[in-house]
Amino acid sequence: MTRPDPIDWDAVKQRIEAAGQRLEEEFAPPADKRRALLEARARALAVAPAPAPGAGFDALEFTLAREHYAIDTVWVREVYPLREFTQLPGTPAFVLGIVHVRGRVVSVLDLKRFFDMPQIGLSDLNKVIVLSNGTMEFGILADTIVGVRRLLHAEVQEALPTLTGIRADYLLGITSRREVVLDAHKLLSDPAIVVCADVGD
Amino acid sequence: MPNIDDEHLLQRLLGIFRIEAAEHLKAMAGLLSTLEAPAAASDIPALIEALFREAHSLKGAARSVNLSQIEAVCKGLEDELSGLKRRPPASLPPAWFKAIYRSLDTLDTLLADSPGEPTPTPTPPPAAAPSPAAKPEKAPPPPSASGDTVRISSSRLAALLVEAEALLAFKFGTSHVADELHAVADEVARRRKAMARAAREARALRRRHGRRAAGDAGARTASTIEKLLDIVDHDDPLLKTLGDRLSALAQRAERESRALAGSVDTLQAELRIALMLPFASLLEVMPKLVRDLARDSGKDIELRIDGAELEIDRRILEQLKDPLIHLVRNAVDHGIESPAERHRAGKASRGRIAIDIQPLEGSRVELLVADDGAGIDPAQIANSAAKLGLIAPEEVATVSHQAALSLMFASGLSTSPILTNLSGRGLGLAIVREKVEKLSGSIVAELPDGGGTRFRIVLPSMLATFRGVLVGVGEQQFVLPSRNVERVQRVAVDSIKTVENREAIEIDGLAVALVRLADVLGLPADTADDGRLPLVVLSAAGQRIAFAVDAVLGDQEVLVKGLGPQLRRVANFSGATVLGSGRLVPIIDVADLMKSAPRAAAKSSTPSAPPPRQHSLLVVEDSITARILLKSILESAGYRVDTAVDGIDALTALRTGAYDLVVSDVEMPRMDGFSLTESIRQDKKLADTPVILVTALESREDRERGVEAGANAYIVKSSFDQSDLFEAIRRLI
Repeated sequence: MTRPDPIDWDAVKQRIEAAGQRLEEEFAPPADKRRALLEARARALAVAPAPAPGAGFDALEFTLAREHYAIDTVWVREVYPLREFTQLPGTPAFVLGIVHVRGRVVSVLDLKRFFDMPQIGLSDLNKVIVLSNGTMEFGILADTIVGVRRLLHAEVQEALPTLTGIRADYLLGITSRREVVLDAHKLLSDPAIVVCADVGD
Repeated sequence: MPNIDDEHLLQRLLGIFRIEAAEHLKAMAGLLSTLEAPAAASDIPALIEALFREAHSLKGAARSVNLSQIEAVCKGLEDELSGLKRRPPASLPPAWFKAIYRSLDTLDTLLADSPGEPTPTPTPPPAAAPSPAAKPEKAPPPPSASGDTVRISSSRLAALLVEAEALLAFKFGTSHVADELHAVADEVARRRKAMARAAREARALRRRHGRRAAGDAGARTASTIEKLLDIVDHDDPLLKTLGDRLSALAQRAERESRALAGSVDTLQAELRIALMLPFASLLEVMPKLVRDLARDSGKDIELRIDGAELEIDRRILEQLKDPLIHLVRNAVDHGIESPAERHRAGKASRGRIAIDIQPLEGSRVELLVADDGAGIDPAQIANSAAKLGLIAPEEVATVSHQAALSLMFASGLSTSPILTNLSGRGLGLAIVREKVEKLSGSIVAELPDGGGTRFRIVLPSMLATFRGVLVGVGEQQFVLPSRNVERVQRVAVDSIKTVENREAIEIDGLAVALVRLADVLGLPADTADDGRLPLVVLSAAGQRIAFAVDAVLGDQEVLVKGLGPQLRRVANFSGATVLGSGRLVPIIDVADLMKSAPRAAAKSSTPSAPPPRQHSLLVVEDSITARILLKSILESAGYRVDTAVDGIDALTALRTGAYDLVVSDVEMPRMDGFSLTESIRQDKKLADTPVILVTALESREDRERGVEAGANAYIVKSSFDQSDLFEAIRRLI
């Protein structure tokens, strides 16, 4: 057995002291350093977070005229099967009618007609997705509800306007699975969707 | 994704600020007009202090939402007032008031331009409503002096009301359930009687048979009769128990429905009281309005308000604002003469406008708006009305004063250039009357003996559910407000006259225009005709029109619901209501309908004759949208169409009605299209009815299965085209 090297206690003490000072500086930095540090942190926090690679939103998926659509669930108030509705004569063609949901009257819209999509085929259109942003509220018709799944922002690519009958400015994009992601916020705040008849004298 | 949280928060804060700011401004206007009153001298320090506090609070509120301009104006006001606070003067010069009012005007404008969504007309809660200039000498203590008042936001109050109104649907619903239960109990009692009759027959048969029974056959018959009697005797006590239980249940439902109705009515009444606001909260803007208008037109006008403490439903008050402002504006612009004219007429140079509010019996309120101006010449109105064709020229001399004055409300009267001294009155008055009538109120113009013009408005002090007449047009139902329904009757079709290509009917010796409600609303006309036509005679805004409907279904209490934010304004409909059965029915806006009627009458002069023999089709489809679409496509092609929601429903319809062809979906609950087709083919009477399957199933196997079941045609939904359907139908019938 060889004898271990004698311990250089001075060097050890120096290193401990240096580490202690660094620790102290880290926890209680001098005023100017602290200010700079806080400012840097504030700046970092003030920058709107770029969508992190894993960021996304919960999307309600549904079908309409054999196309798959998705809509951010933030704007979805409820979904229910359409069993009966009341037609309102004289309203635009995209207004199917009104329904009574839990004490409220909700109008039900046919997006196919609102977007002037070709009326090919006969579909069920017997599900209603009620959209709301607090002030505006209406239901849109769907053929089937697929379910809710998490969509990543990164998955949603800009849509080519030719891919769907819906004008590009109402779309958030299209997913790799070819689900068309609707911009519900835009729909809800669109003045063109509000019926305000002018009743002349 | 937009950051909705921030956006929402900002919107909400601005919304709250606007309400708060409007309250501060109103309070300041109220304080200023109190300060202006001669009796206020001793109160000057306290009033200045109160004004200062209002300006200070508004400044703080504006700063919190970064509206720096508003903040700056408030700062100026605050500085001015704090100077006065230190050394209160004995009186304030008119120039001072002018300057302060100008600042308030600036704030008003800035507030109107401030961002944020427009909030509904903010009305302060009663506690915050300052007493207007009505009786400053009495200075009644404001309601806030009592310590047990709480402030509650109007949106929360509105939410409570919505919940309470939702209960009303249950009230109607439970009484409907009780009625249904009674009907079922009656039905069971009838069945039991029918069973008892059958049992008597069977016993008679046994007696007759017993005498001549012989041999095996006879014994078999006897045992069959015994079995039959056993079944009947066994069923009778069961039916009796069932009937008794149903009756008890119906009675209990009725009792509970009555109790619920009582509670709901009380809750509703209490909430309605909670929703009452004094007229003061509406009238406090009037002194400033009158002062501004008088200044602009160079007139000297005094405004007197009496009865402002009277309370009325805030929703009525909100709707009353525009009509009232219109009447006051008219009084200033057209009623009160210029000081010079007044001097010539020997009147005091200062004109007077008086607003008087008093309660009437039956929860009604009378509102008088009077001016001591030159008044109106009824003869002149009659002349103008004749020129506009509103009355016959020979009527001008004979028309009564009151009738002439009511002509003032006819729309279009003011557009006549002849009526220079009435300009601006007519059209506006038509709108005023429309608004007042929408609130179930009435308005008349009067010429008091003392001179001037007076408008008398009578209003309900509470908004209530109203009564409506339920009518049917085709398969749709509508509610007509009973207050506009003059009468309901059936007339013989051959008593309809045609005057200048328009239909009319004689009622009480007067010709009344007749219009079909279906035509006005653009619905397909019902071709069924039994020689008599149900009519509803409606009147609104002095007009009277008879509307033909398919059926008058009854008269009932209805609760008005809005059509939702997306349907802000729909022609001919003011809202919707939920019937006891849960059905949602649109409520007709009678004022709109009266305007739409002439257009429809012109179009409908030549009704299209229905084809002599229509083919009758049955559409079977579980999706309501697809069902209605198919029905309307086929009806517009001239077929008579009934619908069923599934196979079972369809078989029942087929066995009770006569159909030339069936158009059916395949995937349906209870019984699908394949089974329906098989059942049709197996039924002796129905076997030859052609069946077209319209389906989302497009595989070859499904198609083969359809053919196997006996379908005559198979149309795939994804490529559905109505011409294919028409072609298939034409081929088959």
